[in-house]
Amino acid sequence: MLCTAGIYFDGASSKPQEIELQLDEQNAGLRFGTFSNQQIQWPVQEITFQYIGSSLEIRNKHHSLALIKVEDPLFATQFIAYLHSKGHLTWYQRILRLGFKAYLFLAFLILAVIVAGYLVIIPWVGEKSVLLIPEHYDISMGQTFYRQYLNTNSIDTAKTQAMNQFASHLQLRNTIKLHFTVIKSSTVNAFSLPDGNIVVFTGLLDLMKDYDELAGLIGHEVSHVNNRHSMKMLCRNLSGYLFISAVLSDVNGIMAIIGDNVHNLQSLSYSRQFERQADEQGTRLMILNGINPKGMTDLFSRLKSSEKVSLPAFISSHPITSDRIESINRLIKNTPHAYTQHQKLKELFLEVKN
Amino acid sequence: MENELPDVKNYKLSFHGQGKAYFGIIIVNWLLTIITLGIYYPWAKAKNLQFLYGSTALEGDRFAFHGTGREMFVGFIKTILLFGIIYGLLVLFFYLEMPILGILIFYFTFLAVLPIAIHGSYRYRFSRTSWRGIRFGYRGDRTELFTSFFQWIFFTIITLGIYGAWMEMKLRSYLLSNVRAGNVEFKYKGVGSEYFLLNLKGYLLSLITLGVYSFWWYKDLLAYYVNHLSLHKDNEQIRMKSVATAGGIFKMVMGNLLIVIFTLGLGYAWAITRTMKFMTDNIKLEGNMDLTNIEQTEDDYNDATGDDMTGLLDINFII
Repeated sequence: MLCTAGIYFDGASSKPQEIELQLDEQNAGLRFGTFSNQQIQWPVQEITFQYIGSSLEIRNKHHSLALIKVEDPLFATQFIAYLHSKGHLTWYQRILRLGFKAYLFLAFLILAVIVAGYLVIIPWVGEKSVLLIPEHYDISMGQTFYRQYLNTNSIDTAKTQAMNQFASHLQLRNTIKLHFTVIKSSTVNAFSLPDGNIVVFTGLLDLMKDYDELAGLIGHEVSHVNNRHSMKMLCRNLSGYLFISAVLSDVNGIMAIIGDNVHNLQSLSYSRQFERQADEQGTRLMILNGINPKGMTDLFSRLKSSEKVSLPAFISSHPITSDRIESINRLIKNTPHAYTQHQKLKELFLEVKN
Repeated sequence: MENELPDVKNYKLSFHGQGKAYFGIIIVNWLLTIITLGIYYPWAKAKNLQFLYGSTALEGDRFAFHGTGREMFVGFIKTILLFGIIYGLLVLFFYLEMPILGILIFYFTFLAVLPIAIHGSYRYRFSRTSWRGIRFGYRGDRTELFTSFFQWIFFTIITLGIYGAWMEMKLRSYLLSNVRAGNVEFKYKGVGSEYFLLNLKGYLLSLITLGVYSFWWYKDLLAYYVNHLSLHKDNEQIRMKSVATAGGIFKMVMGNLLIVIFTLGLGYAWAITRTMKFMTDNIKLEGNMDLTNIEQTEDDYNDATGDDMTGLLDINFII
């Protein structure tokens, strides 16, 4: 029979009562006598306990305030082992018996599952949720931005007109109406909005030497629009953010912050993917229109040599420019193509550049 | 100051939870919360509180948290419904193209919910706390807190926030002075003006010293909270005193930061156990109270809604 000294609090006052506690295996219960000579028996199925540090506290489910305190590690271990052997440990108490190594293993396992889930689920959700969002949402989003943007920038009307005419001579496989705007600015940049608005700065046009380079730029930007890259980016960023805050903020703030930063790095790689896709499809559009696809690489080389301190956003630093040029060259080599000189495009290009 | 008490003795507060053990609790909670898509959250919270209370001891005897996941789950569901209704109203008013009215109602309901949530949280949390088999309790009156709260908020708004210091002290005094453990009553005696000056000084000096002073500020705040709290039973009492130093706080905070960052967040359990240990080591209790004859006085109470509301509103439980 297992026996130890304990302290009993009866749940009516805070008076400690020194007791002799016995584990009565025959009657499957704990037995002890109180100060008032009362014999108390707690059957094992009514017992709950908490064992933290060196202190074992035993309570009775039907009388939760009364408690027995035991500071005897040997008794504690044997008592818990006894409950375990009789199947009186809850599943939670059994999990907590697994030990530190098991928790550590569990922690890394959860982290691994989260990372895998993140890498697989987020791009998938990003891709699929775009299909659920109606295109008019892209359009109104783009228009809001476009209007705000034009408030603070001046349009070059003549060049804008020529640019739109230039594009109208090209087959661009677009599903929504495209509109080009040329902005007077020395910035070497161009960007597309989800509503089909494509904004080009004169600084970038000034660098171009031939019409095929302009066709390359248009092909690249139009591919962003055709693939709804802006909306995909938004969906990926948002779903990634939700995923991270849902899974990590339960644990603690720091983990969520670390997660957020990893996510930001990850979204850079998404935009890299999108840039590559736009390069490829842009080049294919040039080939489709019988324009020399070398225009694309010429444009990139020029941008590369013009890079001073910062990289233009259009080329968006990510896939290193020479890397991208190489991929485009490979694509051109592997795709049979023929091109001719387009007199009309050449004229319009000169107008755009003038 | 009050007269020197006869037969003054010290009472020891201590924390026995180990980082390793707490890590297990946290990881298991995390796993189950993810697997159940968040439904396990109230159970996780109960396990967490049970561990932290059960690791804290006064005079060698542990505190206990008796709340269960089931109770908190009910509170959790009620809270979610309530917030659903509040947000639903907001959306409805936007739909009816009355956004300003919608936003006003939205903020007003939030403000109204706040004191009710705090009240409920105190009621629940303390009724589920015990030490040496003696149940704690909170005997504040909901209507009284509600009306006072709106007065305080009103003064805080018209004084552009300055009254906030007074509000905080009044709130703390009201809440803590209504807490009891059996027939032991808590009393908090913070004064708004002192608290305001302490914060003003802390803020200005922290600004001038580029944040270095913030550790002294924090030390003063902790002392202000702790030193004004006392326990009373008949004519016996226990006074509390914080002996935390700015250096000690610096070591604790920086240590925790490094632990958490270098373990990518997994070391959180150790940060918490270190903090708890720091707190219990630095709060001294002295007085002439006999802690072996406290009587049971409080009833059982099991509505956890307030506790979950404060959780969702992210209000820290004061004590």
